[in-house]
Amino acid sequence: MPELSDVGNEFIRGEIEQFVARPDEIERMITLFSRASPALQDVAAALIDGDDEAVDTLTRAQLEAGVTALEIMDDGLIAGMALVGIKFRENFIFVPEVLACARAMKAGMAHIEPILSASGIDPVGKVVMGTVKGDLHDIGKNLVIMMLRGSGFEVVDLGVDVSPDDFIAAIEDHKPSVVGMSALLTTTMPNMGKTIDAFVDEGLRDRVKVMLGGAPVTQEFAEDMGADGYGKDAMAAVSLAKGLLGVGA
Amino acid sequence: MTTATMTSRERVLAALRREPVDRTPLVNPTSLATVELMDLVDAPFPNANREPELMARLAATGHTELGFDSIMPVFSIIQESSAIGCKIQWEQKDNWPTVKMTEPIYESPSDIDISDDWMEEPDAQCVLEAIRILRRQFPDVAIIGKTMGPWSLGYHTFGVERFLLLSLDDEAATRDVLDKLKRITIEFGIAQAEAGADAVTLPDHATGDLVSGEYYRRYLQELHQEFAEEIPIPIILHICGRTVDRMGYIADTGMAAFHYDSKNGAEESMEAVGGKISLVGNVNNPTTLYSRGAEDVKDEVRRNLEAGVQMVGPECAIPLQTPIESLRAIREAVVEYHGLN
Repeated sequence: MPELSDVGNEFIRGEIEQFVARPDEIERMITLFSRASPALQDVAAALIDGDDEAVDTLTRAQLEAGVTALEIMDDGLIAGMALVGIKFRENFIFVPEVLACARAMKAGMAHIEPILSASGIDPVGKVVMGTVKGDLHDIGKNLVIMMLRGSGFEVVDLGVDVSPDDFIAAIEDHKPSVVGMSALLTTTMPNMGKTIDAFVDEGLRDRVKVMLGGAPVTQEFAEDMGADGYGKDAMAAVSLAKGLLGVGA
Repeated sequence: MTTATMTSRERVLAALRREPVDRTPLVNPTSLATVELMDLVDAPFPNANREPELMARLAATGHTELGFDSIMPVFSIIQESSAIGCKIQWEQKDNWPTVKMTEPIYESPSDIDISDDWMEEPDAQCVLEAIRILRRQFPDVAIIGKTMGPWSLGYHTFGVERFLLLSLDDEAATRDVLDKLKRITIEFGIAQAEAGADAVTLPDHATGDLVSGEYYRRYLQELHQEFAEEIPIPIILHICGRTVDRMGYIADTGMAAFHYDSKNGAEESMEAVGGKISLVGNVNNPTTLYSRGAEDVKDEVRRNLEAGVQMVGPECAIPLQTPIESLRAIREAVVEYHGLN
């Protein structure tokens, strides 16, 4: 089993030591980063640091050096975001810092995505995502979409203020396996339940798995509303989506 | 069961000063509007957010129908943002009006240009006139206004993502934004005091779901101290989410009360503020009030009363479909606890 000293990048070693406490996660982080080349560890470190210009430069350099887009995404960008997700979950960092990391990830993905799209790799699954009716907040939803796409899902983004009818139309048009709904306001959370009820009324409920998320949403509330699952943050949402589809988390 | 010795207004004002009360007041720093109450008094959204008579009539149901000791007519958080030019989605009866934050009006601090007469705009005047109406009609009930803090106004005018990234990338520019927007907070607060409000809620969403307690201290604590000095009536600060990590800073602002969320326990919150500020809250909205029954509501109210929380009420603006029986259970729990009507 690899040791922390097998992670060559000093910044990442320090981050693991300082911010990762659970033994299983320490092991996962060490495994993840120790398998990455020094250059891809640099990509991950720049992402964790929220440095979008460095991620842009380093990603381009790796592609030019012949490293595959998939390898850069998995061992650089996604690995970096995995550590960011732990720091966020444990309240070491908050949304502004996560937004900066997401900005850095986007800078890298701007080079990676066109290559992956052209390669014709089958997606892990298809997800329709939207913020529910009456709610115009989209930071959380956008982070989840970014992580889902980075994890191999095809995502249809319906945007914000999405009515039950619009969700239903998207299910019929895009035939997703999973529908994700987000809400930031306690006043709009009940619209998640209304939307699920509308799926039932239209005879669509059994065709999709429904996952809910958003700052005020809880597991208990998701169960009360009749959802299949709740994701506390973007990383949890990816694990949930994989779990709902029965693919490896 | 004995009879109360204080009026609702006296009770709320005493609780805001952390002075003795005959029973714990029921206070709503944020909206109690529901579709059921709109139907009851024929004052539906969106008009009840834009016409002062309807706004006052719907707000009054919090006292007349639900037995609260306060009346708070500003249901939404968009009145002053509308007045300064933000695009608003006014919605219908069953949804809240919302600022279209995806179409922000400012990109940089230099864009901020607020006219001297912004409060003459109808959506600001509506609030002031509704407060005057309520003051005349309910001399013995606490009338609570609302003035948005500069952090929330930053979300509305710049968009949440851009504003939060600015706060990380450029501290000086962020301070410039807050300094320019605070004028709205102060001017609207003073105007509502002059219109007859007994207190104002000041939502400033530096929530634990978005930013750290250290962020609150760095960017907002001094500004909030300034508001407590400039606005001549008690201020009830409202911040959603988990906030125990910043309650100590909040308690040192000189504001009268903090409206706290159900993500924070009553006892730990009382401990965190150390008797330096009153607490009001924190019955859970989406699970307890909206989808559970009266007994669950009463349990949450009792937890607050047993912890010594000075004022009880919902944690935030309630969902518009909240059953009226759940809301009435808040008063029933208080009356049962104190043995006082």
